[in-house]
Amino acid sequence: MPILLAILLAPAAGALILCAVDERRHALVRRIAVSAASLSLAGALLAAFTFDPALGGYQHEVSVPWIRSLGIGFHLGVDGIGAALVLLHALCAFAGVLISYAIRERVKEYYVFYLLLITGVFGVFTSLDLFFFYFFYEMAVIPMYPLIGIWGSDVKEQGVVRFSKEYATMKLTIYLTLGAVVALTGLLWLYTSAGAGTFDLPELQRRFASQPLPASLQRWIFPLLAVGFGVIAPLWPFHSWSPIGHAAAPSAVSMLHAGVLMKLGSYAIIRIAMELLPLGASEWLPWIAALCVMNILYGGLVAMAQKDLKLVIGYSSSSHMGYVLLGIACLTPLALNGAVALMFAHGLMTALAFALVGHVYDQTHTRYLPDLGGLAAQLPFIAACGVIAAMASSGLPGFANFVAELLIFLGGWDVYPVQIVCGVLGVVITAVYMLRFVRGTFFGEPKRVFAHVRDAVTPFERLPYVVLITALLVVGCWPGPLLRIIDAGSRPLIERMTLALSGPPARPAAVSAQTTATVRVEERR
Amino acid sequence: MHWHLLSVELTVCGWILVLLAADSFLPSRRSTSLWRLAIAGVAVCTGVLLWQRSSGQMGGFQDMLRFDAFSSYFRGLFLLATAVVIVMTRAFHRTLGANLAAFYLLLFTALLGMLILASVTDLLMLFLGLELLTFSLYIMAAYLKTDARSVEAGMKYLILGSVSSGFLVYGIALLYGASGSTNFSAVAASLGEGAAPAAHAGLLLVLAGLGFKVAAVPFHLWVPDVYEGAPTPVVALLSVGSKMAGIVAMVRVLFGALPPASQGAWTEVLAVLSAMTMCYGNLGAIPQRNIKRLLGYSSIGHAGYLLMGLSSGSRMGVEAVSYYLLAYLFSNLAVFLVVVVVSEAIGSDLLDDYRGLSRRSGWLAAAMFIGMLSLSGVPPLAGFVGKLLVLLSAAETGRLWLLAVGAVNVAISLYYYLLVVKRMYLEAPAAASPIRPDPLTKIVLAVLVLGILAVGTVQEPFLQLIASSSIP
Repeated sequence: MPILLAILLAPAAGALILCAVDERRHALVRRIAVSAASLSLAGALLAAFTFDPALGGYQHEVSVPWIRSLGIGFHLGVDGIGAALVLLHALCAFAGVLISYAIRERVKEYYVFYLLLITGVFGVFTSLDLFFFYFFYEMAVIPMYPLIGIWGSDVKEQGVVRFSKEYATMKLTIYLTLGAVVALTGLLWLYTSAGAGTFDLPELQRRFASQPLPASLQRWIFPLLAVGFGVIAPLWPFHSWSPIGHAAAPSAVSMLHAGVLMKLGSYAIIRIAMELLPLGASEWLPWIAALCVMNILYGGLVAMAQKDLKLVIGYSSSSHMGYVLLGIACLTPLALNGAVALMFAHGLMTALAFALVGHVYDQTHTRYLPDLGGLAAQLPFIAACGVIAAMASSGLPGFANFVAELLIFLGGWDVYPVQIVCGVLGVVITAVYMLRFVRGTFFGEPKRVFAHVRDAVTPFERLPYVVLITALLVVGCWPGPLLRIIDAGSRPLIERMTLALSGPPARPAAVSAQTTATVRVEERR
Repeated sequence: MHWHLLSVELTVCGWILVLLAADSFLPSRRSTSLWRLAIAGVAVCTGVLLWQRSSGQMGGFQDMLRFDAFSSYFRGLFLLATAVVIVMTRAFHRTLGANLAAFYLLLFTALLGMLILASVTDLLMLFLGLELLTFSLYIMAAYLKTDARSVEAGMKYLILGSVSSGFLVYGIALLYGASGSTNFSAVAASLGEGAAPAAHAGLLLVLAGLGFKVAAVPFHLWVPDVYEGAPTPVVALLSVGSKMAGIVAMVRVLFGALPPASQGAWTEVLAVLSAMTMCYGNLGAIPQRNIKRLLGYSSIGHAGYLLMGLSSGSRMGVEAVSYYLLAYLFSNLAVFLVVVVVSEAIGSDLLDDYRGLSRRSGWLAAAMFIGMLSLSGVPPLAGFVGKLLVLLSAAETGRLWLLAVGAVNVAISLYYYLLVVKRMYLEAPAAASPIRPDPLTKIVLAVLVLGILAVGTVQEPFLQLIASSSIP
């Protein structure tokens, strides 16, 4: 069986089998879920290791005609960017399924929705057909509703509910769906104006390479796609669903959500909006770069003020995704590599952070920072993980985040110096709130009420943390292999875009008007 | 005369007589098993339809009816819907009380009306089919004689329905006066030569009459009240069968009785109506507290999507509408079957009484969940493909504003469907007692849910069937 199909079908099959299992047999239910996630992880590792960076292009392809009359095909395949993100998702999903052992109510239903969510995300990262891309995208959004609504928790402050989980999950679902339908409008407009009668991405790429869409169309379709998918990215000012959604979700769901789901947005912008609409991209990306700064600084500053642990991590996620979008907006191979590497690193880091916050919450029944403190005595392992997460998040050398952020700063310096300076400032802000988080939770005077709390002691409980930290350290100390894979996807993409903009690699911020002017001159000729 | 062309319709007529006889001779305590007879009738008709389809007879009935593949497709859907409505009626026996035979009989006369509408190519047959359907529904809506709400529903439906029938007849008269014929192609030919203003007025009136059937704005006012008061199986028939019949008749009129030259005008009218209908239905559904009223507004919203497909005025649009109706049939019937079972078990249609349904019956809640997600257009369910095709047809005609309105309405509709899901899954049960659907209901629910999944994931065979049975 083709490897990508196996990765995609394992969780789907797991969900299907679970429907037939007696819901009282919790152990069996969990075992099935873990097996499905492990299969996907094994597949993703295999796919990443067998990916040949020298060959480039899309690999591990599967193509089955689906709806011939509309040119829809079930087309799977990954380039370097896709391969890295599939691996990230597999790691987070595996860790998430293990962390989900903390779920004790309605276990079977939980895992059915969780596995459907995993399937949807794998589908988005592997689809090379716009129809199936949207199909899986929306399929990944909807399971969030019951997952947060049933198994989540209200966000409280001093015992008063600040956001109920019902509110958080409805807001999240409606925001993401609104974003999705805006993107769908763009996709259908793109499909009809291409006139190629195909939803196939590589096919459209080839077609647009020889006869691109007129700039006047690209100018309008690009923002639809960028904003529509940007909602999940989450692009400021459409981010407000994200921190409260993360905070209300059960920890395993926050892990996937902040770790992977948010990357769907930036991935979609790279894969569809930039790839197919280079002229539109060159016109709008400076605006996105400006909004990213708001993401970074505003998200960071708000994170500094939060008292709920999950809200701290939630706002920090929306802040860090600003770096990813900034890296994308730079339109240089180096920065794009950095952006994808940061998606990978941030996914692991944030999954780790949500997992350990989940453990703390599970044991102490509070996430309210002033109530916590001195937990390092009772939770040495979790505290160590917390310190590691804080170090990784603030971009300390040795962790993957450092490599990624450095690449973005280096690659973007020539293009957006002001934004990069703001980004570097954001790193300082990150250090402040992450250290505050670690200090307030784990250090300080031990509190007597927490004398009974239990650390993650068994190897099985520690496994998800170990997996995530190992991946962070391996990529941080030895980034070569992963970057080679990513580079195989991003460098040709940037080259194609520069070619389409018909000029030498230029500084899109300063010269975007100039570039379009050149294009207009070309058209007149 | 080609009587064999009418074999399906004649079988239905025969079965009406059988039901009449059964009503007279069957002891009243046995009337609860009449549903078997009714199901058998639908099964026989389906067999006859398949035979007729395989023998490939088309022909005209002096060109008053045309039994083409388009008509076969929709007659199949009508039979399917009727079968599910019979199962619903069976689950609703306690509320319906005595006189079940008359109910089934009316169901079959309604079916006859729908079957005729699937094949009309003549204005008189259009009126005949529509009245046959509507008259049966008037009586069925008011069937719970002791329930004031049901009587009110029947009354409202009767009054507004009669007015719309008046429009229709007046329109037919004007068209006849202008063209000298009631036959669709003759009307089209005569209008093509340059039409009198009277003919345009006539067409507008005919469309208004049909708009009432499909519950399109501004002919929708009857919907919430009638849906709330009428017996639930009747509401299911109204929302699926009657709406589908209205749309089929619209397709026949728009693509048969109008010259191609006039297309620009009527597609524009339909596009505007479609946008209004979608927004009205979906926004109106949000504050509802009664599940049947909510589904009433949602059915208005769906009428908007159907009109969007028609407004593209192309073969692709008609195919999209055919697919949409298939998806809508499975999804809406699944939802209504759950509503019937719940309302029979707890005697209430209030949304608040659906709280914690997932704890009282996992089956019913799951079916409702899947049905509603499909209605709002979430992949991998049927409704998603239906909506995508309709939106695509609007995009192909270049109506980007309509595409945007339709897309945003997907998100709006998801909101109120999720409000129901929220009550079922997130909230504590309203009462502890479990609700146990009987095996047959479970099987039918399972079939409908499988249908939703199949239509949503394996689109090719259905699309081919539709492509082979598309009109113009």
